[in-house]
Amino acid sequence: MRRRLLIGSIALTIPWISLSAAAERVDFNREVRPILANNCLTCHGPDEGTREADLRLDTREGATADLGGNRAIVPGDPEASEMVRRITVSDQSERMPPPDSGKKLSAQQIETLRRWIREGAAYDRHWAYVQPVRPPVPEVPDGAWPKNQVDRFILARLQREGLKPSPEADRYALIRRVSLDLTGLPPTIDEVDQFVNDPAPDAYERLVDRLLADDAYGEHWASVWLDLARYADSGGYVSDDPREIWAWRDYVIRSINANKPFDQFTIEQIAGDLLPGATEEQIIATAFHRNTPTNTEGGTDDEEFRNVAVVDRVNTTMTVWMGTTMACAQCHDHKYDPLSQEEYFRLFAFLNNTEDADLPSEEPVLSFFTDEQKRERAQWESQIAALEKKARSKEDDDRLAALRKQLAEMKPHTVPILRELPADRRRKTHVQHRGNFLDRGAEVAEGVPAAFHPLAKDAQPNRLTLARWLVAEDNPLTARVTANRHWEKLFGIGLVATSEDFGTQGDPPSHPELLDWLATELVAKHWDLKHLVRLLVTSATYRQSSRVTPELLERDADNRLLARGPRFRLSAEAVRDQALFVGGLLSRKMYGPAVQPPQPAFGLSAAFGRAMDWETSPGEDRYRRGIYTSWRRTNPYPSMMTFDASSREICAARRPRTNTPLQALVTLNDPVYVEAAQALARRMVRDGGGTPAEKVRDGFRLCLARPPSDAEATRLVQLHENARQRFSGQKEAAERMAGVSPVPAPPGADIVDLAAWTVVGNVLLNLDETLMPR
Amino acid sequence: MDRRFELLQYVTRRQFLANASLSLGSVALAGLLGREARSASPPAVNPLAPRKPHFAPKATRVIYIHLTGSPPHLDLFDYKPELVQRDGQDCPDEFLKGKRFAFTSGTPKLLGTRRKFAQYGKNGTWMSDAIPHLHGLADDLCVIKSMVTDQFNHAPAELLLYTGSPRPGRPSLGAWLTYGLATENENLPGFIVLISSGSQPNGGKNSFGSGFLPTVYQGVQCRSKGDPVLYVSNPEGMDRDLRRLSLDALRDLNQIGAQEFGHPETLTRIAQYEMAFRMQVSVPEVMDIAREPAEVLEAYGAQPGAASLANNILLARRLVEQGVRYVQLFDWGWDFHGTRPAEDIRDGLTEKCATMDKPVAALVRDLKQRGLLDETLVIIGGEFGRTPFREGRTAKSDVLGRDHYPDCYTMLLAGGGMKPGLTYGETDELGFSITRDKVHVHDLQATILHLLGFDHEKLTFRFQGRDFRLTDVSGRVVKEILA
Repeated sequence: MRRRLLIGSIALTIPWISLSAAAERVDFNREVRPILANNCLTCHGPDEGTREADLRLDTREGATADLGGNRAIVPGDPEASEMVRRITVSDQSERMPPPDSGKKLSAQQIETLRRWIREGAAYDRHWAYVQPVRPPVPEVPDGAWPKNQVDRFILARLQREGLKPSPEADRYALIRRVSLDLTGLPPTIDEVDQFVNDPAPDAYERLVDRLLADDAYGEHWASVWLDLARYADSGGYVSDDPREIWAWRDYVIRSINANKPFDQFTIEQIAGDLLPGATEEQIIATAFHRNTPTNTEGGTDDEEFRNVAVVDRVNTTMTVWMGTTMACAQCHDHKYDPLSQEEYFRLFAFLNNTEDADLPSEEPVLSFFTDEQKRERAQWESQIAALEKKARSKEDDDRLAALRKQLAEMKPHTVPILRELPADRRRKTHVQHRGNFLDRGAEVAEGVPAAFHPLAKDAQPNRLTLARWLVAEDNPLTARVTANRHWEKLFGIGLVATSEDFGTQGDPPSHPELLDWLATELVAKHWDLKHLVRLLVTSATYRQSSRVTPELLERDADNRLLARGPRFRLSAEAVRDQALFVGGLLSRKMYGPAVQPPQPAFGLSAAFGRAMDWETSPGEDRYRRGIYTSWRRTNPYPSMMTFDASSREICAARRPRTNTPLQALVTLNDPVYVEAAQALARRMVRDGGGTPAEKVRDGFRLCLARPPSDAEATRLVQLHENARQRFSGQKEAAERMAGVSPVPAPPGADIVDLAAWTVVGNVLLNLDETLMPR
Repeated sequence: MDRRFELLQYVTRRQFLANASLSLGSVALAGLLGREARSASPPAVNPLAPRKPHFAPKATRVIYIHLTGSPPHLDLFDYKPELVQRDGQDCPDEFLKGKRFAFTSGTPKLLGTRRKFAQYGKNGTWMSDAIPHLHGLADDLCVIKSMVTDQFNHAPAELLLYTGSPRPGRPSLGAWLTYGLATENENLPGFIVLISSGSQPNGGKNSFGSGFLPTVYQGVQCRSKGDPVLYVSNPEGMDRDLRRLSLDALRDLNQIGAQEFGHPETLTRIAQYEMAFRMQVSVPEVMDIAREPAEVLEAYGAQPGAASLANNILLARRLVEQGVRYVQLFDWGWDFHGTRPAEDIRDGLTEKCATMDKPVAALVRDLKQRGLLDETLVIIGGEFGRTPFREGRTAKSDVLGRDHYPDCYTMLLAGGGMKPGLTYGETDELGFSITRDKVHVHDLQATILHLLGFDHEKLTFRFQGRDFRLTDVSGRVVKEILA
């Protein structure tokens, strides 16, 4: 165990935290705060309820207070500080932290505290609670490498670390990387050739612009927002009944594609209904907070679960926008961050006065017709009008009646929404002791935590005010959290690795100045997210080759320093969409009710609910993008869960990425992927030229954009030949392997050959590089 | 071989040795050591490489049989003659005041059991005539009569029991254990879920999900029809030799990629595909109960090809025998409200128990005979108890049933470091409250983790700024019931 620990800790600590030079002053936020937060604040922190000995160490005032003859910290004089005595005393009964807490300060940590006290024990506000100021862009001597400001920050750090950036990735890798990152789909062979052969100096920038304008962009990026919003097509808990709320999902896709400014996107979702003259779209947006589960189990207390939903909305709001773990303050004052339980319920009060309750009916809902329905209705209406005007035959009368009936009977779709209670039914909000909704404390009014920027002056205490507060210019967090989330999506890990927690327990940023520069840039450019994404993907940093040396791997395993390009496995949706796309099966139909692609049968029902198994959707709905797959909370689509999708129970700020044998079984054997391999085989046979080598090249390029090396091509040709030999004389097995596909094979194609190409297609879809683009 | 590649392989192998020290592994490792677990890096190596717990465990495997809906403990284990005496009388107000019930309001009538109770074994363990096969096991079982939970609705109570929180979103017991221990037999998942009687558990997949832990730690739900583990079979037309051929090609191509680009995750992927290939044999083998001798099938009441609790209990034994750490069973239909004859505490209960007590008895005997009982913890119970009075909605019907009751109920444990033949805890003479040795579900969780070698306060995972654990902010190891 000792040896393991040693190696483990080396691997953990070497990569990116650079030690500051000994001569520098102790940095409170980076060096001291983590020591206090992890070892002291549980008992000597902001939580009054558990505070020991009346001592709080999270404020300078508390730490230097005279507690009857001694002071925990005497600035400038470590030896006079009671704290230093208690963390070094040998008597175990006096020792801090108490030995039975399992916590222990290292000699180095004790020395850091001493130095900090000697230097005056300055407390700085936690970095994330201070409004970002646009930092100067570092001067870097190497003028050739940086393509934009992002790169100057990255390069300055690399130079401090004695590292150099990697060369730019080749064009094949670039177009595949940026296409998958922006749209979740790989490029076609034509698109690849066009880009590779484009001599214009701005070829890459134009490629980026084309991808940003592609509708697939919104479909891809929406999944991040759906995870945050815990979007699902069912209500959760026991019976987990279907919930019709896809109109909100479509709102997200449309908003992202239209590049709706993030402040507007925010305000619409938190309080679109309160905007003057709210449009249908702005009201649909409020379904964001109607994604909370509903408990329809018999015998439940509806008020209890309505309350649970509001708690969820508070926690989700604070995670999504502020990167703040407000949930910790529901039952008691926050242990580490300056957030009190009372402040929790003041935020709660903003969200506690909507009409929805924990009922199966989902009221209030908005009824609406889709664009297609609206077109149909308009047609019928004009036909009715025409018929009404003219002299009618008996048939005309029948036709008129039929049309009127059709029009009257067309059922609108619905979407649950937020609606504020009328003045006479407003709820009072109380602090809930230990988070128990029946155990009420003092009544509280709407308000925001004192640690953050204040609400706008003279604003009404309502959701709209809260929404505006979230995107106010003096908000220290929202822009940072949002910029970081986009960085994480493109580079695999955020500048702040704990993208859900910017509080004192979260990770400090790897590049603090860059984060602040991006945050201020986002606000300066009026929350233009496509501008932000363009900035990131056109940087030289993003465009680097992802090739890594063992030396660099040891130095920076997680690629926090960015001395190489990003490389990580595709998301669950992208793994599936890509396979269908390269097989030529993917439907590009957008929007509308969720679809049911093939799913294995379990023969079970939800508890007190309906069957979990479903009938596969007919026609092209079988092959729609993953974002449209019906998401039932008690039984989320199994193959996507295997690839680390979120179960959408609660707000999920980031997905872990695992690499498991069960994933291998999915992409090898799941009928969805077998169908994709069968279709890919037909494309290779049909379009791939005359020789096996040419067909291999075609299939390879469909999957990886680049042509295969000789060694790779030879190995695949060999596999094809081996498979062919095995299938020859086994027509039945060949027929089953080749299957039936909507992608036509050329007339007269040999079934044995087709089966062998299916085996090749299956391998192509499982290549490491297919799943983890270079 | 290329030196770069050699170095890469060296680094990767060292990471394996270092207990998967990068990324996922480091999260788990750091968590185990009670240090900060905040790495958000992508996984490089096998997150399921076996790990050691905090201290020497008493049990290395768990079979947890959940009786979904919650059986009427007052008709099975907790004998209340006084309640029989007062059958039909109004329930005294003192027992109702300030309490919430799912389907009962007003003043319900007390309901004495209709079952015959007797004492069994050396220590005189009380059991009713509904579970005849368990009578002979009295000396092997540890009966906790003083269980208590905070929740009186199924889903929240089941989630509290399995995840430590009544709301969805936290990791389940099996996920915590898999996170802590990974898997012993690398050719099988470490955490397997078997479901019988037609419905999912009340908490849905959350009751065996991974919550905010990586999904690699969630329970793998096996099916009774089709592939037992999803996608374990090759596509139609592809036999095992051809799969081998194609995996050889895949490995060769991935090796080229690993040499060229140097990513350790590529090597991990190569290893995972090999493991998947081995699982393709080991999973169907272990899941095939037809391989059991006729007398074993008979003892469990199992029938190959059927979908039943008996089959699943036999399967559970096969799985733990092969090194699966945690097998979770859910059996639907124990919600004895009395809304239909199958939910009647007389014949309905007799029939339902017949599907459970014979295979459970066979399991305990079988494990004992194979020398596995000492290391295998068997747990049987529901998510809460049932009321000592008749359920409100059905009070006037001919069917006798009971409402949900969180304040006291009974659970059975056996093997794996439990004191055999012990009855622990007591309830009052009518069965409304605990009079001695209360065991909260958090205490049960702490005790289970303890038996598996974990300090429940130290098996943590940092999520959204907080170190979460299964027992939330409480939990006491019930030392008194440990052998």
